[in-house]
Amino acid sequence: MSIYSSSVKNPITTIMIFLAVIVFGLYSLSSLPIDLYPEMEPPYISIMTTYPGASAADIETNVTKPIEDALNSVDNLKNISSRSIDNMSVVFAEFEWESNLDEAVNDIRNSLSFVEEALPDDCKKPTIFKFNSSMMPILFYAVTAKESYPALNKILEEKLINPLNRIEGIGSIGLEGTPKREIAIEVNPQKLEAYNLTVEDIGNVLKAENINMPLGKLEMGAMDYSLRVEGEFKESSVIQNIVIGSYMGKSIYLKDVAYVRDTIKKRTIDQKINGENGIRLFVMKQSGANTVKITKQVNAEIEKLKKTLPPDIQLIQIFDSSVFINHSISNLTETLMWAFLFVVLVVIFFLGRWRATFIIVLTIPISLIVAFIYLKLSGNSINIISLSALSIAIGMVVDDAIVVLENISKHIDRGASPREAAIYATNEVWLAVIVTTLTVVAVFLPLTMVTGMTGVLFKQLGWIVTITVVTSTIAAISLTPMLSSKMLRLKPKKLTERKWSYDNIVIRFLDTLDAFYEKSIRWALAHKKTVVFSSIGIFVASIFLVSQVGSEFIPETDQSTLNITVELQTGTRVEKTVEVTRKITEIIETKYPEVKVRFSSSGSDSEGDFTSLFSESGSHMINFSMRLTQPSERNRTVWEIADALRKDLDGIAEIEKYSVSTQDGMSFGGGNAISVEIYGYDFAKTDALARQIADSIKSLPGARDVKISRKKEKPELKVVLDQEKMALNGLNNAMVSMALRNRIQGYTSTKYREKGDEYDVVVRFAEEDRNTITEIENISIKNMYGKMIRLKEIGKVEEHWAAPNIEHKRRERIVTVSASPHNVSLGDLSKRIQKQLDSIEKPSEILVNMGGSFEDMQESFADLGLLMILVLLLVYIVMAAQFESLKMPLIIMFSIPFAFSGVFIALFISGKTFSVIAALGAIMLIGIVVKNAIVLIDYINLMRERGYELNEAISLSGRSRLRPVLMTAATTVLGMVPMALSKGEGSEIWSPMGIAVIGGLIFSTIITLIIVPVGYNLMARKGEMNKKKQLEKQFHFLDN
Amino acid sequence: MKAVMITYNQAHTERVEYILDRLEIKGFTRWADVQGRGSETGEPRMNTHTWPENNSATLTMVDDSKVADLLASIKKLDEINKEVGIRAFVWNIEQMY
Repeated sequence: MSIYSSSVKNPITTIMIFLAVIVFGLYSLSSLPIDLYPEMEPPYISIMTTYPGASAADIETNVTKPIEDALNSVDNLKNISSRSIDNMSVVFAEFEWESNLDEAVNDIRNSLSFVEEALPDDCKKPTIFKFNSSMMPILFYAVTAKESYPALNKILEEKLINPLNRIEGIGSIGLEGTPKREIAIEVNPQKLEAYNLTVEDIGNVLKAENINMPLGKLEMGAMDYSLRVEGEFKESSVIQNIVIGSYMGKSIYLKDVAYVRDTIKKRTIDQKINGENGIRLFVMKQSGANTVKITKQVNAEIEKLKKTLPPDIQLIQIFDSSVFINHSISNLTETLMWAFLFVVLVVIFFLGRWRATFIIVLTIPISLIVAFIYLKLSGNSINIISLSALSIAIGMVVDDAIVVLENISKHIDRGASPREAAIYATNEVWLAVIVTTLTVVAVFLPLTMVTGMTGVLFKQLGWIVTITVVTSTIAAISLTPMLSSKMLRLKPKKLTERKWSYDNIVIRFLDTLDAFYEKSIRWALAHKKTVVFSSIGIFVASIFLVSQVGSEFIPETDQSTLNITVELQTGTRVEKTVEVTRKITEIIETKYPEVKVRFSSSGSDSEGDFTSLFSESGSHMINFSMRLTQPSERNRTVWEIADALRKDLDGIAEIEKYSVSTQDGMSFGGGNAISVEIYGYDFAKTDALARQIADSIKSLPGARDVKISRKKEKPELKVVLDQEKMALNGLNNAMVSMALRNRIQGYTSTKYREKGDEYDVVVRFAEEDRNTITEIENISIKNMYGKMIRLKEIGKVEEHWAAPNIEHKRRERIVTVSASPHNVSLGDLSKRIQKQLDSIEKPSEILVNMGGSFEDMQESFADLGLLMILVLLLVYIVMAAQFESLKMPLIIMFSIPFAFSGVFIALFISGKTFSVIAALGAIMLIGIVVKNAIVLIDYINLMRERGYELNEAISLSGRSRLRPVLMTAATTVLGMVPMALSKGEGSEIWSPMGIAVIGGLIFSTIITLIIVPVGYNLMARKGEMNKKKQLEKQFHFLDN
Repeated sequence: MKAVMITYNQAHTERVEYILDRLEIKGFTRWADVQGRGSETGEPRMNTHTWPENNSATLTMVDDSKVADLLASIKKLDEINKEVGIRAFVWNIEQMY
């Protein structure tokens, strides 16, 4: 028994099955995490190696190079790039998307084990680091404090971080820029020398003093005692009274030679939040955890915990990734609701019957709910891709139900009982319904096979649309007939029509439209040449528009975030940098009321730590991150504000370079930059070329934020030691450098313990005794014979310039010049830059190449181009099988080029660019447009089989199929309208797709309605017309 | 005894059955999904893409007295909508066992 007759005969079973699906779907929906994008594993692995004390150039040759060479043998490796900075080497390995990173990590570990031997001795073991999107903080809080500032670290740790860590799904919570307590012992070198002591002596005494030691057990009488010495410092103030030696029979106390301070570690970074001293607290989630849920919990918990903190500590949220997610999601949900409403209106307009409309519209929630089941089972989340996919599908899922219901009501109107009509009418159309669905599947299923980054984006879209459309077909041949058999009634013929009734207005309008269309077809068939040439004309004209519409990778979104990076003269002291920060702050405060929260940092944390991977740092750098008010609450867009800021920054003389970015850096569309890659070994030559290229790009209209990746050489002081003199004085390199390090950086001799926490006790020269070259040269070092030798006797301090960072790509030295487009499209700017590059003369050993977003864009477009060919082929295959003809699909595919014309016309009119997303819209159009033509051609074929003359068949079928074609087109178009018009956060990404589909579909529908009938006439004339004669020929024996 | 052969659009199946029940005609033989076309106005029912509909045929042996009622009922059914289509043909039964 077929699916439709059994579902009509077992209505309860049918309802229960669909009810089960709905319940399961709603359950899935309730437990689905909400996120911005589908989870993906960026295929990057980095290998970090620290080699303390080495310069960038040393790191490059001794660490980076061997590691890069070792990685060469790793499979699936797409690209190697590296960054060698002082003390640290970072090698980035980029893999093909969706390659197995766990395996890659193992491969890398194996390869590294071979080179580890060859790395310098002091070099730490390389750490392999797999990047994951869940490592990006989801929440940033700014913490400001007045009196409690010095103890902030401990207070937050105890009262905030520990309770917060109990929330399920939290990966880690970190603090950035916290003041760290240290016991600083600032030694006066003159006094030290006078007493013949060294920094190391002091350190060793402190180490020896600060101990607790068990001494053994003591048996006294019946008792057993344990004996111990408790020598650990009880308070930091006791340290200054420690005897560190004796001089001429008198004890020397530490306070005699040094100044002991229990203080905050000196920092080379100055952080301000809304102008106050502050630190940042950031929350990271576990991978796969629900961002929205966690941020909500954390925010609520912080509200509660705030009360337990000292009153001067203020917590302000600076970044909450869930805000953007929530806005985008609620925006899309709204879009979905509007689309639903529009589709309902279209159906009711064309059918004019409430019950029929209800039956059809019911397939929408059912098909969409199945998508949630898929998301749940595949471990995905509700995100902007899945929701957009749903709003694309919403207009398509009703199509099948419409076809089935139309046929059923035709039978009922003829007097059949609804029950039988439902079975027999479905029997007549079920195959056709499945085939049209197959064409849609032929378009969307290949989307799941796209590789690369675009693939990650489109995979979910492809699956969701495929699944919902297939579900809608199943519902259309089971649920729809069942409901029709229960709900549809024979409409009694009304004798008198009311003036404003549906029949009198809409039906009459549609009848007129039908008649008009029939007339148009007849005219077109009589003027085939005019029609053909004018449509070719239109197509060619639209091709010229292609060059007018710019191209870009993924449209930028207004995320209400602004980040400024300012670079001053290299080597500027923090204090100076802070002054500039203050100036910028003033400007922002007075001129930009849109800025809600502002975080600034000047300088950098001294240790080259993890964060320096992601942001450039140095005492001369200023970073601002700002959160703006919602887009709807302000008049200027984030780009306008950024432009105004750029003008203001131009006016500050101290600023050497700056960049203003409007992206979070945590999402796609992040970099919209073009980079020119300059490969070459020679620093001087590549630098010169980079500068030349940067200058020429700066002169181009539309280029901004032009940056050179290699930092200016920074001044460095180098101690040059004379081997001979050292040998004479009984010293060696290690002794000298160790001694110098202890005096300048400090000698961490012991730890001071208080309430379970440990603080460093650092002995070093007082700052005023180590801030000139003379003072450094005057440092005395104890040699092997206990004699003090001054540094100037064995060497000297020289000033020189060193490259602060050396970057590699494909194992070669590289400098990149990057620029982002302004008021022009990415494609146009890259064309202009390419032209400039061609005119610049380049030394033969230097290779220049275009990369960045432009490279990604070209890769993606190439992927999409391949996808389009695949889709076209598949659609052709499905249609050829359906019509059992090689020619018919070609007629139908006539309409596709016009869909593309429509896309470009719509983009041109709306002023949008052709991005990867718009291209995706264009590909989707293939399926939708073809569907329209199939409906038409199929009916023409049918009429021809029924014996109508060619032109008669064409015009009659046109008349009869106009409504279904208009109806399916209208549901799809109106389903997309909310998406195209949406103005909220995140809409910039998807509106081009909506616009592309709407433009393409409207244009191609109009063209299809004329050009396909004409095409049919042209192609069919020979074989089809003489079908009867051909048949006669086969049976000519009867004539004899 | 007469044999009455009723051929009709599938959509009439239940009604034809009801007519037989109403006239207390118990025995019949039915062929579902048969193809054919009418001699004058009847649309072809070929179960093809072009002519997607199907007919059914019911053969029943009735007493002479019931034939008139049966034909009258079928005519009434046909008149609801001629497009759907139903026809009945009567012939004599010569022998039976």
